Amino acid sequence: MKLLQTMLALQEREGWLSDETLSQLAKETGEPLYRLEGLRSFYPVFQEEPGAKHVIEVCRDVVCRMHGAPAFHEELLQELRQDPDVEVREVSCLGRCEQAPVALVDHHHAASNATEVRLALDGQAQAHNVLQAVDAATDPYPTADAHYGMFKTLRDGAADAGRDTVIDELKASGLRGMGGAGFPTGMKWAFTRGAKGGPKQLVCNADESEPGTFKDRCIMETLPHLMIEGMIIGGWVVEAERGIIYLRHEYGEAAEILRRELVRARELGVLGPDAFGPGKPFDMEVFISPGGYILGEETALLEALEDKRGEPRNKPPFPTNVGLNGLPTLMNNVETFAAVPMILQNGGDWWQSQGTNDCPGLKYMAVSGDVAKPGVYCVPMGTTVTDLIARAGGVADGKQLLAFSPGGASTRFLPADKADTPLDFDAMQKAGSALGSGAFVAVAEGRDLLDLATAQARFFRNESCGKCVPCRVGSNKAVAMLEDALNGEVEDGLAELLHELDDTLAQTSICGLGQVALSPVTGVMELFPEVARRLGTKEDA
Amino acid sequence: MSNDTVKLTIDGQATEVPAGTSIWDAARELGIDIPVLCHSTRMRPVGVCRMCVVDTGARNLQASCVRPCEDGMEVDTRSEKVEKHRRMLLEMLLADYPEDSARDAATGDDELLNMARDYGITEVRLRDGASGRPQGVDLSSPVIAVDHQACILCDRCVRGCNELQHNDVITRSGKGYGTRIAFDLNTPMGESTCVSCGECMAVCPTGALTNRALADLKLEPLGSD
Ligand SMILES: Cc1cc2nc3c(=O)[nH]c(=O)nc-3n(C[C@H](O)[C@H](O)[C@H](O)COP(=O)(O)O)c2cc1C
Ligand code: SF4
Ligand code: SF4
Ligand code: FES
Ligand code: FES
Repeated sequence: MKLLQTMLALQEREGWLSDETLSQLAKETGEPLYRLEGLRSFYPVFQEEPGAKHVIEVCRDVVCRMHGAPAFHEELLQELRQDPDVEVREVSCLGRCEQAPVALVDHHHAASNATEVRLALDGQAQAHNVLQAVDAATDPYPTADAHYGMFKTLRDGAADAGRDTVIDELKASGLRGMGGAGFPTGMKWAFTRGAKGGPKQLVCNADESEPGTFKDRCIMETLPHLMIEGMIIGGWVVEAERGIIYLRHEYGEAAEILRRELVRARELGVLGPDAFGPGKPFDMEVFISPGGYILGEETALLEALEDKRGEPRNKPPFPTNVGLNGLPTLMNNVETFAAVPMILQNGGDWWQSQGTNDCPGLKYMAVSGDVAKPGVYCVPMGTTVTDLIARAGGVADGKQLLAFSPGGASTRFLPADKADTPLDFDAMQKAGSALGSGAFVAVAEGRDLLDLATAQARFFRNESCGKCVPCRVGSNKAVAMLEDALNGEVEDGLAELLHELDDTLAQTSICGLGQVALSPVTGVMELFPEVARRLGTKEDA
Repeated sequence: MSNDTVKLTIDGQATEVPAGTSIWDAARELGIDIPVLCHSTRMRPVGVCRMCVVDTGARNLQASCVRPCEDGMEVDTRSEKVEKHRRMLLEMLLADYPEDSARDAATGDDELLNMARDYGITEVRLRDGASGRPQGVDLSSPVIAVDHQACILCDRCVRGCNELQHNDVITRSGKGYGTRIAFDLNTPMGESTCVSCGECMAVCPTGALTNRALADLKLEPLGSD
């Protein structure tokens, strides 16, 4: 952590990391030059050139693309071409998809049109808009005075048996990880608690970077005490001494809010030297990621915390056994931790009963794309897609639904006739897609699904770490061929080749990024005949 | 039998190995050769080329050089499924490979090209990146020629330089498709802290790092065209 934090501070102070700066750092730390080059060139926050005074980062990913991002980018380029003080670049999803299209001015101020960009450049940015989740129902506390009550009861009441009771309650609740993989949370806590070696490590994965996903931002900004209490309880259960919140760097407001909440928690004595009882310390800190979607992959994240290039590890071993610095590590998503206090307050059965259609619990869905009211909606697990869209004001402009992506860039688009599918891990899988991280994107009639699926594949290509051959080379070749196809150049055998590439990426890539990179593309080829026709499937040849 | 060993079968042959043994090592003990590009018995395995994938019955194939054996595993090292994906991986690497490999020309031990010949790969259906996106040549070192276009990022030179020789010069630089190897702070090899020990070119499986004295160089420096 220390080396990357030092490099972040230098980048912040000087605006770039010159060879001189890094040579000096090498002398001071004894780190070899090659290692610093490896880090500087891997993380997008680090710049190798001095750059302009102002930077405008325009999101190029799917939701913004649906809302005119290419034209927005072009307009900014035209308007600011003459201004040597301003640099306009395209970047991956900024986690503000409900405001699409979005640009970030000077890494901090979100703007959705050229006027807002201008104002931000002139130092008159609009105030940050804190997004409230609609129908949020996971806060057990009627007033702020009662915050952290669940943890205090656990700590002050029960003996050691309390730790296993927490795990039993989580197992009974059916809570599954909300970061994308849906792994049963109680089981993960039990594995980490039972793992050999220590002290145990605790990490909250707050790197949320998948296009369409912004629910963690909303939870961190409006319910930070729940996430932090969930982490404290997790730390108590696995008997950790410290926790780390791994936060994407574009979430500056969340960073401030979380840091304030950590101060408050220390004042309340639930963090600090006696947090787990007299003489039993527990504390936590916010680590700002130097950037890149791949860092959300749990082992890449751990590599970053160990001051390495954030390339995923080969698994097994899994972090519950061999995690941060080789120690057993409990890592959960923001939403997963934030659900814990409520579950313990009301019991696992209560959580189960909150869902409908036999699905357990509540889910924060980030809803964007072609809906009238994009935002974060807290819904019973098992709510149908039709219902969710209705809550979000229906399809935008009164149009018909064409398709939807239920859970993020890696989850396949399903046709509108699947809109009666319940939002649930198993049900979505059965329907041919996945609930993923809960990034729901609605697509109205008239949209080009091949273009949107290609945008997803392009995102994965852009964010590939490059460690393994299939993902590094395969995602690049596939996107190149898809872009040709969108321009009307369809080579013979293209459909066949894309399926083969998808298969090899899924079978041989190291991590989830490469494994799913082409799935949205083959998905639209399989489920939407008009897309298949354009790519010249064998049937039509 | 102690707790510290695991029993499994590889291509139908039963074996018992110490816990933690990689599938690749266990197969080798049985005389089964699994193809590798990034792995070398002298080095810590990194599992990046994926040529050594095998079928363990799991959801996806496993890279045998880094995958520990498990009790009861039934491993298939050369099913049609496995070979199909190996061929596609080779096709990917060949798509960006230069026309001429300095290693192939000089010493004939270009492991990528030899493996492609073994697999009978004659056609590459993927778009050629060698012409579209040349990665460049670095002839600044008097001893070692660097052809970035022929680099398959196996990380052997990185491990050879830093972990075997402790010379601490080579890294991966950049990210994704733009990744390449670099010396120190991405300086030309001849101006870096390289001591010309030759380890990197000895372990390099391709025409990316070769001996200038031996190589029939068809390489041209950057910007010469
Ligand atoms: C490429 C990739 C990116 C990921 N990004 C995130 C992320 O931003 N946030 C997150 O919580 N999980 C992310 N995950 C999932 C994590 O690896 C991990 O499963 C999760 O943090 C575990 O927490 P959970 O069990 O509470 O879901 C990502 C996975 C992959 C493969
Ligand atoms: S699958 Fe892609 S992102 Fe994952 S390790 Fe391989 S190259 Fe990196
Ligand atoms: S230069 Fe050779 S040894 Fe080094 S990564 Fe490239 S192919 Fe491997
Ligand atoms: S902010 Fe543009 S897609 Fe998320
Ligand atoms: S030899 Fe195992 S991944 Fe390269």
